[in-house]
Amino acid sequence: MLTVLLIPIITAVLCYLVKSPRFIGYVSLAGMSVLVVAAARLIAASLAAPVYELQEALFMDAFSAYVMALMLFYSFAAAVYSISYLQHEFETGLIDIRGMRRYYGLFHLFVFTMLLVVAANNLALMWIGMEATTIVSALLIGLGFHKRPLAVEAAWKYIVLCTVGITFALLGTFITYYAASSVVGHESALNWTVLSGIAAKLNPGTMKLAFIFMLVGYGTKAGLAPVHNWLPDAQSQAPSPISALLPGWTAFYAIMRFLAIVSPSTGVSFTGNLLVIFGLISIGIAAIFIVVQDNYKRLLSYSSVEHMGIMALGVGIGGPLGFYGSLLHMLGNTFAKPLMFFTSGKIQARFGSTNIANVTGVFSSMPLLGAMTFIGALALAGSPPFNIFISEFTILKAAADKGMWLVLGIFLFFAAVVFYGVLSGFGKMLFGDPGRESGAGSLVRPRIPVTVGTVLGNGIMIAMTASIVVMGFTIPQFIDRTIRACIAALGAN
Amino acid sequence: MKHWLETYSIIDFISVGILLTAVTLNAFKSIESYVKAYTINSWLLAGLIAVVGVLVNESHLYMAAVLTVLTKGVLIPIIIWRIIRRMRVAHEVTPYISNTLSLAISGILVAVVYASLQGGIFVTGFSRDALQISIAVILISLFIMITRKKALTMVMGLLFMENGLFLAGFSLTFGMPTIIELGVLFDMLMGVIILGIFAVQIKRVFASADLDKLTVLKG
Repeated sequence: MLTVLLIPIITAVLCYLVKSPRFIGYVSLAGMSVLVVAAARLIAASLAAPVYELQEALFMDAFSAYVMALMLFYSFAAAVYSISYLQHEFETGLIDIRGMRRYYGLFHLFVFTMLLVVAANNLALMWIGMEATTIVSALLIGLGFHKRPLAVEAAWKYIVLCTVGITFALLGTFITYYAASSVVGHESALNWTVLSGIAAKLNPGTMKLAFIFMLVGYGTKAGLAPVHNWLPDAQSQAPSPISALLPGWTAFYAIMRFLAIVSPSTGVSFTGNLLVIFGLISIGIAAIFIVVQDNYKRLLSYSSVEHMGIMALGVGIGGPLGFYGSLLHMLGNTFAKPLMFFTSGKIQARFGSTNIANVTGVFSSMPLLGAMTFIGALALAGSPPFNIFISEFTILKAAADKGMWLVLGIFLFFAAVVFYGVLSGFGKMLFGDPGRESGAGSLVRPRIPVTVGTVLGNGIMIAMTASIVVMGFTIPQFIDRTIRACIAALGAN
Repeated sequence: MKHWLETYSIIDFISVGILLTAVTLNAFKSIESYVKAYTINSWLLAGLIAVVGVLVNESHLYMAAVLTVLTKGVLIPIIIWRIIRRMRVAHEVTPYISNTLSLAISGILVAVVYASLQGGIFVTGFSRDALQISIAVILISLFIMITRKKALTMVMGLLFMENGLFLAGFSLTFGMPTIIELGVLFDMLMGVIILGIFAVQIKRVFASADLDKLTVLKG
C-alpha cells in the first residue's frame, strides 16, 4: 500500500523535472499506468480480505478498494485527456512550459492525496488527506491566473468555503475521539477498525452531534446543497481534466464510513433522515439551476450536485437495496461525468465559448464528438438504457419498499425536471445548422490537428462511452460481487 | 508550581484571554491589529496547553505547546506580515456594519453559547469554561468572516476559527496524538500560504482586495 502511495509522489517530482512540453504528458501517463498496475494487485487483495500496513495506520477493505478503483479510473482518464488538452493550450499560448510542469506535478500530488484519504485507517489522517486535496486542487483550479482572472475568483471561493467546511469536520473528528476514548482509552481510538467494533457502545448524544458536524463539513467538500456554491464556479473555471476530478468521491467516502460508525448507536433513522433531507435539497436546487442555465459547463456541475444528492438519498433510504443503488450510481457517474467534461472541453476549444447559445450543430460538424456528447448527456440525464437509469431505479425501488412515497414523489418530479433541463441544453448545442453565420454562432477556431495525444484522448473517450453503453444493458458479475462485498463491509445488511 | 497554578486558576485567566482577543477583532480598524491579536491568541493557546500539561503531568502536551507556538505563534504571523507588505494594501478593514453593532452582536453570540451549552453532554476535564469559550471563538470568527470586505480579513477569520477549534478539541480530549497534530498544523500552514498567494493574485487581477468585486461567477 505504501508503494501505491509513493508512486504518484515520485511521478509528480519526475513531471516537475521534465523540461520538454512534448514529452511531459507521456511521462505523467507512464507514471499513472505504473500506479494503476501496482494498485490493481492491492485492490484485488483487499477485495478478498482487509489489508493492513504500517502498524494499522493504513487499512483497506472492499469498500476502500472499490472507491480507490473508481478514483484511479477517472484519474487515469484525466491523465490521458490532459495530454491533448494541454498540448492545445500550449499551442494557443494559454500556458507555458512552467505552467505545464506545475500542472502535472500538482495533478499527481492531487492523486496522492485522494488515495491517502481512502487508504487511511485513522480518522484524523483521513482529515489531513482531505484538507490536502482541497489545497492542491485549489492551486490546480487557479493555475495560470494571469490569463484567466475568473479562475482566481473560483479558486478563492473554493478554498475558503471548503476550508471552513472541513474545519467543522475536524470538530466532528474531535468529538468522535472524545466519545471513543471514553470507551477504549486513548490508544488507537480514531481507527476505523477499532471504531466499527465499539460503534454500538458509543454515547448516542455525542455521536449525533459528531455526525451533524461531519455531514456539514464533508458535505461541503462533496458538493451537497445548500453548501455547494463553490462547485459550479470551480468546475466551470478549472481546466477540463481537473473539472472531471472534482468533487471526486473522497468526501462521500468519508460520509459513508462515518455513517457505519454512527448509525449503530444513534439508530438508522436519525442518520438516514438527515441524508434524505440533504439529498432531496441537493436534487431540487440542482434541478432548478439546470433548467435556467445558459452555460454548459455550469450545467454539468449542477448535474454533479444532483448526482451527489441522489447518492446521499440512496444511502439515506438505506437497507441493502438503497446502498446498492448508491454504489452503482457512483460507478455510472465515474464514467459519465468525466466524459461530459472532456467532450465539453473539446467543444469549448472549438467554439471558444461556454455559452449554450454560442454553440450549435456539433453533431454535423464533429459527428464522433457529437455522438459521444449525446450518449453522455442521455446517461447523465438518467434515461434508459444507461447505467445511471438502473441505479436511480434501484433507489426508487428501495424507497417504495420502505413506503417512503413522499420522498419517491419529490425525487421523481425533480428527476424529470433535470431530464428536461440537461437534454434541452445539450440538444440546442448538438443539433442545428453548423454553418449559421450569425456572429458568434459560427466556428471561430480552426480544426485541431491530429497527434498521438489527440488519438489517445479520443480513444479514452470512446472507451468511456462504450462502457456506459455496455453497462446499461448488463452489470458485469464481478462488479455486482464487489458492490455486495462493499455493503457487507459497511454493515448495511 | 502546580499548587500555584491551581490557586490562582490560571487556566480560566488564559481561556478568558483567548476569548477577549477574539472579541477585540470587532473593534479593530487595521489589518495589522488583527495579526497582533492573532499572535497573542496563539501564544495564549500554547500557554494553556503547557499549563494543562503541568497540571495533568503529560509530557506530550509540552511538545504540542511548542508546536503550536512555532506554527501559529511565529510562522503564520510572519507569513501574514510578508503578504501584507507584498500587497501594499490600504490597511483599513472596512466592515459592512459599524463596530458598535459588531461588538454587540459578538456579545450576544457569547451569551447564546453559554446559555445553550449549560447542561451539555460533555464532561470536560480541566475547566468548565474552555469548551464554551472555544465555541464562542469559532462563532465570532465566522461572524468576522462574513462582515468584513477584505480578502485578508477572511484569512484572519479562518485562522481565529482554527484556534477556537484547537481549543475545543483540546478541552474535549487533551489533544490528539502528536503526529496527528503535526499533520493538521502542516495542512493549516500550507492553507495559509496558498490563501496568501490567491489574496495577492486577487489584488493584482481586480486591482483591489475587496471581496465584493468577486461577483462575476454566479447562478
